[in-house]
Amino acid sequence: MSAAPLVHPASGPGVPSSWAEFAAGRLVRFARGLAVLVAVFAAWEALVILFAIRPYYVPRPTAIFAALLQTPAPYIQGFLRTLSETLIGFISGALFGVGMGLLFFRARALRELVFPIFIVSQTIPVIAFGALVVLWFGNTLLAKAAIAFYLTFFPVTVNTLLGLESVDPRQEALLRSFGASPGQLMRRLQFPTALPQIFVALRLASSLALVGAIVGEWFGDTVGLGVLLLQGMYTENVVSIWATLLVSALLGTGFYSAVAFAERVLVFWGAEQ
Amino acid sequence: MSAAPDIIAAVPRASGRTLQRGVLGMVLFVLAWEGVARGFQLPAYTLPAVSDILASIYAKRAILFTAAGFTLTEAVVGYVIGALIGVGLAVIITLVPLTRGVLLPAATAINSVPVVAYSPLILLWFGIGMPSKFVMVALAVSFTVFLSTLAGFDRVDRRSVDLLRSFGAGRLAILWRLRLPTALPLMAAGLRVSTVRSIIVAIVTEMLGAYGGLGWVIYQAVLQIDFVQVWGAIFVASAASLAFFGLIGFAERRIIFWK
Repeated sequence: MSAAPLVHPASGPGVPSSWAEFAAGRLVRFARGLAVLVAVFAAWEALVILFAIRPYYVPRPTAIFAALLQTPAPYIQGFLRTLSETLIGFISGALFGVGMGLLFFRARALRELVFPIFIVSQTIPVIAFGALVVLWFGNTLLAKAAIAFYLTFFPVTVNTLLGLESVDPRQEALLRSFGASPGQLMRRLQFPTALPQIFVALRLASSLALVGAIVGEWFGDTVGLGVLLLQGMYTENVVSIWATLLVSALLGTGFYSAVAFAERVLVFWGAEQ
Repeated sequence: MSAAPDIIAAVPRASGRTLQRGVLGMVLFVLAWEGVARGFQLPAYTLPAVSDILASIYAKRAILFTAAGFTLTEAVVGYVIGALIGVGLAVIITLVPLTRGVLLPAATAINSVPVVAYSPLILLWFGIGMPSKFVMVALAVSFTVFLSTLAGFDRVDRRSVDLLRSFGAGRLAILWRLRLPTALPLMAAGLRVSTVRSIIVAIVTEMLGAYGGLGWVIYQAVLQIDFVQVWGAIFVASAASLAFFGLIGFAERRIIFWK
């Protein structure tokens, strides 16, 4: 990690020599992933037919896709609605979490006062809290975003703090001996050092925020993936539940990959995993 | 998703001063809550006073403790099943490396859906009794434990494996004598993180359909617009989570003495 941020990514070993090669490698990996996915669905279809599993338990994938294509509107609307709830909660939670991490890092006394409350707050079952949040904010998009926010900010705070504290004191002393101000120290050394840790939390929080949004919708709403799940349960429409599960998986995986992509771009010197 | 932030690591070593400050922070927080709720005479649906909530918990202790027992049973049974499945899968992958290519993608695919989204389906399959909660909790716990255990098994130094093998140790012996002790700290972290999650998942599933439990109590209280009761159930659930968390943490310190 020592002074690693100074190394330009293109000069590192194992980096493809051209963008064309890089893109080609990407395409091959994407094609392989797609092939695996198709194979899984084919095996699923075959198993369901072979063992004559009742659609009530596991419907055939083709039936699920047919349902998706027949009435795509609620799924698309639900996808967009849940996505916006997740995004608003995630982004505000991430910013708040990093801010709290910085604050706790600077003010140790404040940290010792407030941190235990944060920990206890995380043992509260989010769904119970959700009932209150929906009551406070009304049945709005904001209420669901608040639940996503609540699930996001804590891991981000914890990891920001851990990352900032992992800075090598000798590097700090060196920069300070060159006359670096506290702001410069933060921008050039402490924050970049903490960034890999912060992204570990952000990746975890991306799935938590989605959980928060879906659960938040269970308190009564008309649009959203959580709503579709509930409706599917009450009408015992298993195909619709499975279709919603697939859409949720798409949303969750897409969001997670987006965060992971941002990590590769921003933490180009490589996270320690 | 494997690297859950370790809450414990962020807590400053419990020196006398930090402990004092922590307790002071909690007391100030509770006093501020009580002051705001009483001072502004906030209605119960906005924020009931702490004293009112505690009084309500005491008044309805029979209901709440029965519900807590119900939820804890679901959480603990599901937790044990999930932990066994998680460790079992990791052991299978380590003993038979061929299975890694199948089991790991399958587990990742199942986990790509947020776990609570499965609850409607699980409720339809297993009914609204306790079994559906066992399944949900086991599902949530097994993946975390599986990933952390596998990460622990894989962390073993290649040379140590070669050394043991040169003494004629088989896969099983290497697993028992080398991989398991090395993996225990990571496993324990996964097990610890899963405690709170198991109770939360049990409560979430109860709210969608159950014969009893804290989630059921909360849902009924929401329907009856009894918000002091909602807060009471939240307090009890929080206490139950902390107790479970503390128990596993205690067991961890006793078992992994070399950490």
